[in-house]
Amino acid sequence: MKRSAVLVVCLAVLFSVVFAAEPIKIGAVSPLGDITGKESTRAMQLAVKEINDAGGVLGRPLQLIIMDDEMKPASGAAAIDKLATVDKVDFFVGGMGSGVHLAEIPALKKYQKVTVWIGAADHNCENAVGADADWYFHLHPWDYQQGEGYGIAWTEIAKAYNIKIEKVFLAYEEGAFGTGSYTSYVDFFNQAKKGQGSWAAVMKQFVGASFKSASLGGGDYRAILNQAKSFNPDLFVWAGYDADAVPIVAQAKEVNFTPKLFVGAPPGWPANYGKNPLAENVILYGMWSPTLSDVSPAAKHFFDAYVKMYGEEPTGYFAPLGYINIYFLAEGIKKAGSLDKNAVIKALEKVEFKDTALGEPLKITPSKVVKHQGFKYQKILQWQNGKQQVIWPLDLATAKLVYPFSFKK
Amino acid sequence: MKNRTGLIIAVVGVLSVMISLPYYSGAYFLSVTMTILLNMTLAVSWDMMLRTGQLSFGIAGFFGIGSYVSIVAVSNFGVNNVVSIFLAAAFVAVIALALAFAILKLRGIYFAITTLALTMVFSVTIRNMPTLTGGSGGKVLYNTIFNGDTTKIYWLILTMALFTILLSIVFEKTRVHYAISSIRNDEVVAKSSGINVFKYLTVLFVITAMIQGVAGAIYTQQYGFAYPETAFSLDFLMLPMAMALVGGIYSTWGSVIGSVVLGLVAEYLRLVMPHGSKIIYGIIVILIILFLPKGIYGTLESKLRTTRNGARK
Repeated sequence: MKRSAVLVVCLAVLFSVVFAAEPIKIGAVSPLGDITGKESTRAMQLAVKEINDAGGVLGRPLQLIIMDDEMKPASGAAAIDKLATVDKVDFFVGGMGSGVHLAEIPALKKYQKVTVWIGAADHNCENAVGADADWYFHLHPWDYQQGEGYGIAWTEIAKAYNIKIEKVFLAYEEGAFGTGSYTSYVDFFNQAKKGQGSWAAVMKQFVGASFKSASLGGGDYRAILNQAKSFNPDLFVWAGYDADAVPIVAQAKEVNFTPKLFVGAPPGWPANYGKNPLAENVILYGMWSPTLSDVSPAAKHFFDAYVKMYGEEPTGYFAPLGYINIYFLAEGIKKAGSLDKNAVIKALEKVEFKDTALGEPLKITPSKVVKHQGFKYQKILQWQNGKQQVIWPLDLATAKLVYPFSFKK
Repeated sequence: MKNRTGLIIAVVGVLSVMISLPYYSGAYFLSVTMTILLNMTLAVSWDMMLRTGQLSFGIAGFFGIGSYVSIVAVSNFGVNNVVSIFLAAAFVAVIALALAFAILKLRGIYFAITTLALTMVFSVTIRNMPTLTGGSGGKVLYNTIFNGDTTKIYWLILTMALFTILLSIVFEKTRVHYAISSIRNDEVVAKSSGINVFKYLTVLFVITAMIQGVAGAIYTQQYGFAYPETAFSLDFLMLPMAMALVGGIYSTWGSVIGSVVLGLVAEYLRLVMPHGSKIIYGIIVILIILFLPKGIYGTLESKLRTTRNGARK
């Protein structure tokens, strides 16, 4: 009798240990062939390692299962199906392109697992997800939020540095990305004319013109730069791709076009762009810079840990976003105390980080359509001596704005 | 007689397995199968045109037009999702017929480049009609076909693939085959034999374009959106071409085998080698094309023929 009791107790202990060790499965979908996907999944693995080293969540380790979406809509949708039905993950994370995400949304709706997405800025995705999807959390700012944020940023910068910003020129690549940017600027200009919207104080005049991106066979910007020069803008913004980043500044120098503020807004920058003398004083939009380590302990911790684990610096903001992606979800599960879907949703709604790897706080608020939106705005950065310095938000500034723009001699 | 019965049993068996697939395969395998069937449809249709000797690079163009006609019909005019696919077929057929009079006079590389340019022209046109098509920002459907029922969507895609295969076989087994083979081998001889070259080229061009348009429409209805970049993506040209080349050109079964082999290999590599799977995939395609210039089916067919001839001797 005694022996049986001991056996039962031993089995119960063994069972509980095995059960407790069962990992919490997180399915990540990302474009692994692209630098954004590569770095964001690396940062996710870093976060998972740190959490597991600290004892996991609810006494269980996290297991990250990564699938490549190959930047193809059908592959993204199949990846969701595989993670949900074969790997039987508890949560979905990841993301990058909006085109792929639109194809993933029907599959995500089918499984309705708690999803924390860090990609897809196109508001079409928000509309496709719909207001009812309480299981959906989106951390990356939507396109319209970014545009609104730039208006707020330039207004605050103009006031803080006592500079005049009234004339805005947008040079945009003729594809979807550039045309989308142009459409939002036109909307903001129409609002500004009525004295409404975030751009009201800094957009008295607006001109936009398209160019063919170097990545799509173009690369001659002289005509558009001369057009901009004759307009003499206070703020010159180009919305193209990384392939345009060097030649557009080189040709601006060639035609002697020096707008007071020279801003580039590509989705990604060429590697080592800051080392090029032409980059000096060029302003860029982004969510993160290595210099944030100077002002944010969380950003510093992330940066140091990433460099220690991988032996190289992250190049873009998708790395810190991927890191936050896992920590945000883990915090929600911890607060919920279980994997119960409704409990995790309620807990995630209350998660609040005072500081994150992006150097800014994170709190969930509703956006135009979805109930759970994380970050709202991008930052304004400027290349100074080969480094991306943060200019805005002003409370996170790592350097003063170099104004007006001039080419390095 | 025995061979015929065996063939019928095999066909019925394969069809039964394919039709009942949603009942025993998981959602993931079904999703992969749907992608393979879609690429198979495009590969077979591309090969059907190639059999005339005309290399068409217009797959992605007709695919994109089909996508947009379908999504605009549903989104702007409230047309039923299924009906929109037929509308896309009809619209693409009309466009292809109109284009046939202009471009089917071209031959060789001139025809190939013109069809590739058409894809760009279609894409730019769609981008510049924002009121109708959503322009560069694309268009989204908030209700996918069959309310997202994957079983029904799978059957729809299977029907499209089977119809295309059947049509291709019919063309192989009827006098159309002799006519288009003759055109491919020597157009002057074909003409002097009384073959109406333009008629046959037009029929093949319109039918294959229509199939590609239907594939685009179904793809869009399946995922519920159309972006110019995705609808006119050159992936819809390169992948089906690679599949037909790997399987073996100038035959229905070559494209079918190529689609299945490359589709499964690509998915397997994605699972076992998330980083760098594309490199291995590319190497496999190059090796097969280098060492099996007739493709998998063409090589197997040649070997079987040699064995049979050897046995007869």
